[in-house]
Amino acid sequence: LCRGGLAERLCRLQNRERSAISFWRHQCISDDKIPSDKSGVLIVKILEIFEECTIQVAICQQLEQSPVTLSPEDAVIKAEEPILKVLFTRETAAHLKIRPQDVIHIYPPWQKLLLQNAGVPVIMNTYFSQKVLLSEHSEARKKTYGLTKMLIRKNIISLAQTFRLDDLDDKLHQEPSDNQVACAPQIHNNSDSKQHPLALSAVNDSLLEMVESQGVVGWREVQVRVVIQRVYCLPAREWCRSYTQGNKPLCATPVTNSDPPNVRLCLLVQDAYGMFSEVQLQSLSSTDDIEQYCRRWEGKSCCLAGMKILQRTTRGRALGLFSLIDSLWPPVVPLKVPGQSQDSEMMTTKLPPPSFCYILTVQSGEIHVEVDEEEQISNLYQPPAVHGLKEILRIDGCNERCSFWAQVLYQRLQTKHNVPIDQRDILLFVTDSTLQNVVPGFPKVVAVSVTALCVLSMETREALSAGSRLVFFKDALWGNGRIICVERTVLLLQKPLLCLAAGADLSELTGPVRLDELDSTTQANSICALRGTVVGVNESTAFSWPTCDRCGNGKLELCPQDRELLYCNQCSEVVTTPVLKMQLEVFLSCPSRSQSTVKVKVWHEVSVALFVLLTMLLFLQTYEVQSVLGKEVGLLNCYVHSVTSHPNCVALEEIVLL
Amino acid sequence: STLPAVAEELLREIKKAFQESSHVPDDLLLGLKFIFGPSAVPALDLVDQRCVTRVTAPSGRTLYQVLGSSGKLYTCYSSCHFCTCPAFEFSVLQKSESLLCKHILAVYLSQAMGACQELSVSEEQLTNILLAEEEDEG
Repeated sequence: LCRGGLAERLCRLQNRERSAISFWRHQCISDDKIPSDKSGVLIVKILEIFEECTIQVAICQQLEQSPVTLSPEDAVIKAEEPILKVLFTRETAAHLKIRPQDVIHIYPPWQKLLLQNAGVPVIMNTYFSQKVLLSEHSEARKKTYGLTKMLIRKNIISLAQTFRLDDLDDKLHQEPSDNQVACAPQIHNNSDSKQHPLALSAVNDSLLEMVESQGVVGWREVQVRVVIQRVYCLPAREWCRSYTQGNKPLCATPVTNSDPPNVRLCLLVQDAYGMFSEVQLQSLSSTDDIEQYCRRWEGKSCCLAGMKILQRTTRGRALGLFSLIDSLWPPVVPLKVPGQSQDSEMMTTKLPPPSFCYILTVQSGEIHVEVDEEEQISNLYQPPAVHGLKEILRIDGCNERCSFWAQVLYQRLQTKHNVPIDQRDILLFVTDSTLQNVVPGFPKVVAVSVTALCVLSMETREALSAGSRLVFFKDALWGNGRIICVERTVLLLQKPLLCLAAGADLSELTGPVRLDELDSTTQANSICALRGTVVGVNESTAFSWPTCDRCGNGKLELCPQDRELLYCNQCSEVVTTPVLKMQLEVFLSCPSRSQSTVKVKVWHEVSVALFVLLTMLLFLQTYEVQSVLGKEVGLLNCYVHSVTSHPNCVALEEIVLL
Repeated sequence: STLPAVAEELLREIKKAFQESSHVPDDLLLGLKFIFGPSAVPALDLVDQRCVTRVTAPSGRTLYQVLGSSGKLYTCYSSCHFCTCPAFEFSVLQKSESLLCKHILAVYLSQAMGACQELSVSEEQLTNILLAEEEDEG
């Protein structure tokens, strides 16, 4: 940057401002009470918010006094109070989580700008803002304020709208208009003036008719009434890998470091004629709301307006989408027949499933989805059919969507370290009462592969690691003997309100969980239980490490102050009495799989004899392997790393079930 | 829409302040940062280095050429917001995340502060500049 130039000056100013902002925010967190120094503070109440190019524009009413100091009756806004347009950067808006009806205190230094054509004054540089929470109103707000209002309208600015820096009487740089090449007239963006487009338009009930009559440009004044069959999240196109039928990734596009994560809320809707459409709504800033959207929106009717056609896709090109559509076919109520009178309805049992589907997206600048949450569940809605795992394993087909409620026993993350955690595949081992009750020919535990395409909320991720959770898997894919969670599969922590429990047992498991015992059919990447006798020890694998006695953290560090002491950075404290954990690889002879050499890394339930041996191996440099040979080990729960036939060997690692 | 009017007013204030005192006050610079975000500092840098040239032909037709930081010359139109740089295509056209790219902002700032270099060319030369953009995309 040029020394002494404007850029360098702005850089310095910006750095100073940034420090001031973080210092101020830190101060706000530490002092709960609103600062009493009121000089220069702007108090506003937000009426409406829309977005333009990452700036959030809030239409506000300026208040004289903070409503906290007024009684609830006085807090009613008087009509004469001045209107302002307050601009917030995306970062500030996200930090404050601004919504209509919020009261914001804006501290100096803010800037006021009066525009040429009078109009409403604009407030900028609103970094130092704080939201005031009115405790007695927050309960009421939660009830009346449905999730639909979280979608903020985005205005697209026309490129034809250029800036004129000259005053009207400044002729210096004005180009002579008669010599100018004719250019297109300025397009004014009128979306502000359309207050409630949905109130004026007619409601249609056919998606196909709408699509065909309005064309690709989108729907202006018409709405379509549809039923929301499913709500799910789709990952952004930037970082997802496409899966072909053979489950080979098509292309791995580089990860764009998107912050917030790029995930779009989508709806699978169906109209009265049976036609489906996938509606891709805007990006979600946090995936934690997905469970709420599912509960409040699935099964309800809604009106779509201001949609744009993204794609018309067919069965062959969108296998995932159509496997979900097939699971909703045939419809449970008779469908309307296009072209015939409203009274005549077609029996749907013989209709073939749809072969094409329109993918719609929102057109910015217009309100798009109005869900009537208070209304009854539609007759057309088909809730997910929940089955026991035993029934699912018996399904014949391929690429069938299935839903089940199961207990997660163990979780294993894919080990590729160059892939961020939220994009790694997860292998879950689950079971339910249908598998735990001894059934010959069926395993006791099933592996479920969760691919990176299946969007998981942070809450779900934590629940899966924390353990012993019953999780509802909605619309997972079953095929080729495996259950996988892909795009459009949703993992929920709460039991679904409505589901067809066809022979499923949604109750908790009673009694301890049992795993299948190691035998000749055991495969790699599975879990099993084993017992056997020690026939050998791999002394080079003897290893011990200290763990924190409070939290079990195995990665302790040396204290920087005193190198003799250990420090746990999860507890942020010195560990005075660490628990010593030991690990050793032993060779066992297992009667259930007598032909193979069984190699197990044990670390948790180390029998006394092994403990003594380990201690000798690690600390005394002398040992007597003889003392452990022939000792019994088991019943151990293990994860199978590999199974090889030449040599006939099974390598396992002891695990602890969640 | 609100943002273009706000941006225009901010640029006008910068021009007025510069005309009166040859100096741009700090609060207007910070205002640039608020509205234009990450484009503000790079645009000012282009102005500091006098990278903007106004190209005029006898008919009165004009366009702007901005020498980018990589040494590439980008063309910005005067009748509408358009720039041939990749950031414009991405942030403005595709994502609608920015009003302008740093080059267009540099053009406005150079206009406001009288920092544009001037170049007079013939009609044919101006046409060639406009058409040359198409050939480069090959």
